[in-house]
Amino acid sequence: MLKHWWKILGVAILFYVFVAGLLVPLKTGISAVSPQKVAPGESFTLEVTGYNSRYTQAQGQIRAWLKQDEAHALAAGSVTVLDDRRLQLAFAMPEYLPSDKKVQVLTLLIDDPVDGAHVLPSAMFVTQDSIAPGLAGSAWTAHPVEGLHEEWTMSYPFRNILQETIRNAYFHIPMWFAMIFIFIGAVISSVRYLRKFDPQDDLKAAAFTRVGILYGIMGLVTGAIWAKNTWGAYWSGDIKQNMTAIALLIYLAYFVLRNAFEDPDKKARVAAVYNLFSFAALIPLIYVVPRLYDSLHPGSGGNPALGGEDLDNTMRLVFYPAIIGWTLLGLWIAQLLYRADRLRDRLWMNA
Amino acid sequence: MQLIREIGFLLQKEFTLEWRQKYAISGILLYVLSTVYIVYSSFTKLEPAIWNIQFWVIILFASVSAVVKSFQQESGQRQLYYYSLANPLAVLLSKMLYNTLLLLFLSILAYLALSLVAGNQVQQARPFALALLLGSLGFSITFTFVSAIASKASNSATLMAILSFPLIIPVLMTLIKMTAAAVTTANPAAIDLREDLLTLVAIDLLLLGAALALFPFLWRD
Repeated sequence: MLKHWWKILGVAILFYVFVAGLLVPLKTGISAVSPQKVAPGESFTLEVTGYNSRYTQAQGQIRAWLKQDEAHALAAGSVTVLDDRRLQLAFAMPEYLPSDKKVQVLTLLIDDPVDGAHVLPSAMFVTQDSIAPGLAGSAWTAHPVEGLHEEWTMSYPFRNILQETIRNAYFHIPMWFAMIFIFIGAVISSVRYLRKFDPQDDLKAAAFTRVGILYGIMGLVTGAIWAKNTWGAYWSGDIKQNMTAIALLIYLAYFVLRNAFEDPDKKARVAAVYNLFSFAALIPLIYVVPRLYDSLHPGSGGNPALGGEDLDNTMRLVFYPAIIGWTLLGLWIAQLLYRADRLRDRLWMNA
Repeated sequence: MQLIREIGFLLQKEFTLEWRQKYAISGILLYVLSTVYIVYSSFTKLEPAIWNIQFWVIILFASVSAVVKSFQQESGQRQLYYYSLANPLAVLLSKMLYNTLLLLFLSILAYLALSLVAGNQVQQARPFALALLLGSLGFSITFTFVSAIASKASNSATLMAILSFPLIIPVLMTLIKMTAAAVTTANPAAIDLREDLLTLVAIDLLLLGAALALFPFLWRD
């Protein structure tokens, strides 16, 4: 039992990842507002649709602002709660904005003690015909944004396009980390084979490579489902999608190469050499070429990188264990495949 | 020093061998010319962006066909004789060097032929020439080493394509990106030459390093 500790640990971590990853709720968010465009000097009622919000419980304590920057925010005159999800905010937009841009983007910020503070970036566009920041008046500074309820709760960030799919971060991204770790395992086994010429190391390398390919396919599939929900198509020809497909071709060729040999020693030696050479080719494929092209993925083409607000401290509590859990599970699968191969070899020799 | 002298002799041997078996080199030349003509007659009018991609696809296929014979044209016994005479790394390096020169020659020929029938679309010569040089080097390193791997198996021609096409993609993508700007615009500021060059040189060196480290395990039978 003791020597199986890492398998138990891996399964326990994955159990935690599935439970926490799928059951912990999202933070309160704002999924829609209307209208989205107003003119200066206009008084209007902003209809807000909340997500995971409990506005009826917070009735009377809700405050809202249209924020231009840290120093300038316009407070809502009155707040009407329609139900848990819907709010009506009355605003009186002043004649002038404290901004020298023709089109100013405002962020909607709602705060109440039940749901905490939640924001919708770029909620509203104001087009001003005459620009005079000096005439903006006191409405922008009379009710500063302060006393926000920002207590920590066990919940994941709400992002407008991602919404509930943010949970896929525990399945899609760790798959790539685990795949690289497993391929590194194959590299180590191949190097050991070339040093000692022990056939078992060759079987280990082949088992690691098979699991690495499995994880690559799982990563592509989870990514495609995520892409369908956020980018609108399963396959958008994104550079990282293409490069991953090619990386899988490289490793599938490894098995074609293995099958091309009759002599087991020659097969093992050439396969180990190819495994190491293809890992060297994999590094530019995954880490260099995608940086030269625009991508829809976070961290490239002007998109924010993974981390920052997208991966907050609550998500880290699940994300890092997920990497370890998937890697341990992969090692376990690889061990089973290796043992099955070794048994098959022994049966074949005795037959 | 000894290694360089050996490479020199072996390179001379490659040239002599190629000169004696003229059918191989003339076959490849004909291959390039017919592919260029197929591309031309199926497109008739080539847009600069398509010209660029077609050019590299022609080079890719011609290169694989040209390099595949590196480790196969001579029998196993004769190769064993070379390895006993010279450092095995000298054998590999001389073949890589010879293939680089051969591929450079093929690329220039393909460029001339494509320019003749489909018009010369290259607006900036320097980045294009650099891409040809580094491209030949990268193709030669990868394909020579893969041909050494494939020659160990029986049906090596198929294996050569399966193994080398995915491996060459990083080099090919960088080359296409580098020459795309050189073909579509005459403005030198449109190309970030340093970044592309650095990437290409880095990939070439990485593959060369891996090939040199792994070849000692490969040549013995």
